[in-house]
Amino acid sequence: MSTLTARNKASRGSDRRNVIVLEDVSKQYPNGTRALQDVSLAIPDGDFVFLVGASGAGKSTIIRLLTRAEAPTAGRIEVDGEDVGRLTRSHVPHLRRKLGVVFQDFKLLPAKTVYENVAFALQVTGHPDDEVRERTDVALELVGLSKRRDHYPDQLSGGEQQRTAIARALVGKPPIVVADEPTGNLDPVTSWEIIQLLSRINELGTTLVMATHNQEIVNAMRKRVVALEHGSIVRDQAQGGYQHA
Amino acid sequence: MLRYIRYIGAQAWQGFWRNPVMSIASTATVAGMLLLSSFFVIAQRGLDVSLNFLQSKVELYLELDDNAKPSDILALKTRIESDPSVDHVLYVSKDEALTRLKEVADKTGQVSLADVATNPLPASLEVKMRDAQQTKQLASMMRDEVGKGVVTDVVDNPSVVDKVLTITRVLSIGGISVLGLMLFVTLFVIVNTIRIAVHARRDEIEIMQLVGATDSFVRWPFIIEGVLVGIFGASIALLVLAASAPPVMGAISGFLTIVPIDFGPLFALALAGSVLGFALVIGAIGAVISVRSYLR
Repeated sequence: MSTLTARNKASRGSDRRNVIVLEDVSKQYPNGTRALQDVSLAIPDGDFVFLVGASGAGKSTIIRLLTRAEAPTAGRIEVDGEDVGRLTRSHVPHLRRKLGVVFQDFKLLPAKTVYENVAFALQVTGHPDDEVRERTDVALELVGLSKRRDHYPDQLSGGEQQRTAIARALVGKPPIVVADEPTGNLDPVTSWEIIQLLSRINELGTTLVMATHNQEIVNAMRKRVVALEHGSIVRDQAQGGYQHA
Repeated sequence: MLRYIRYIGAQAWQGFWRNPVMSIASTATVAGMLLLSSFFVIAQRGLDVSLNFLQSKVELYLELDDNAKPSDILALKTRIESDPSVDHVLYVSKDEALTRLKEVADKTGQVSLADVATNPLPASLEVKMRDAQQTKQLASMMRDEVGKGVVTDVVDNPSVVDKVLTITRVLSIGGISVLGLMLFVTLFVIVNTIRIAVHARRDEIEIMQLVGATDSFVRWPFIIEGVLVGIFGASIALLVLAASAPPVMGAISGFLTIVPIDFGPLFALALAGSVLGFALVIGAIGAVISVRSYLR
């Protein structure tokens, strides 16, 4: 994790490069739903950004566009210097390696242990065995699951499952982690633990984008808040709260 | 790279046994198709060989009147030779016919012809056919000549050739249609087997894609699983063929004693090679089709 710390120190400067850029991005689904309309957003390296808004405001759509699960109808999306909208299918995997993704429903494989779930991300992207072992151990240590490494997901609490998923998102050392409602299925105390963990990961230098409608957390963290309503950005505030202050 | 290949092999092997009923069913289908195909190829080949043999043997014997004028015989010979379906015509004199008979008799040692005083054998024209199917027509033409002073009798054996020709034709058409149908069924079964394998691992595939595994990384284990189905099917088919070849060939030779069936040394090897190659290709194609619909 020493490289992450180094990157963090370097990024403390005032003119940080933008790792995520959205320019006039619109997304309209074939059924006519306008999920996003002319959204522009720049996220500098090392930022922690909350995307807030009611269900259907467009938070998840932004995340799906960032990971290239979908392509924008109009506009330009750049992730770590790559024009996401123009990526060919064969280049999408390389984009995904730059984005660690965390979901509300964890998306763990039930037949694999904690260790195997995390190691899987490195194995399927072609890392050598010794590197897989070493980096998986480091990631499990970071999320505090070293002692639970041989447990299966159904033997874990919700918070532990989400920490496993976070370890999996981190293990490939992506410059950006994107979390879509990561606390949506968790109780308040556990939610706080997860936020503390994500915050620590951000402090180690990873850019963090988190979609949520957990007001308490957003208000307490005093991070940058981007509020969406009906597919448009209605507020973008440094050290903001869930509602307009 | 080596690690990747090992991973693919392990995944494919696991995939094959994850749903053993379906995998074994499709392996059996492949084996059945290959056996049927092999049967047709072997039968076709056997008939071709025997047909060639029979065709090379097809002759029309025109027995000649002892009193026929040499010029008339020559005229008839020339006339027959001008027929495009005829390869050549050989004149066998009475003496030559006797000499031949003596040679055969000496070899078999059954009858001594040494002291035959007069020669009872007629002179003859032996017509070698180029196109065996025209034998019948020529024979009937020659029968019209009987009694006109030159030809006394016409001897032909077209019925065997006719039968072999008919069987060959029916077998080609029937064989190709049955094989086409079998190919379709086999492909369908393999596509379904792999689709079930893909479906069973859809969550895994989703996460693989999420963390940035390439399409080929996702695809290869399934293709190899399809190839495994092919290899297993081919092995079963070849084992059955190898085990059944000696008794079946024995029965056929016993049945068709006159026709020496010799497939040549490379035939078995070529057949085994094509069976295996065909199985691999159909397994891989089936897998590619089913994965393609899943990976979009």
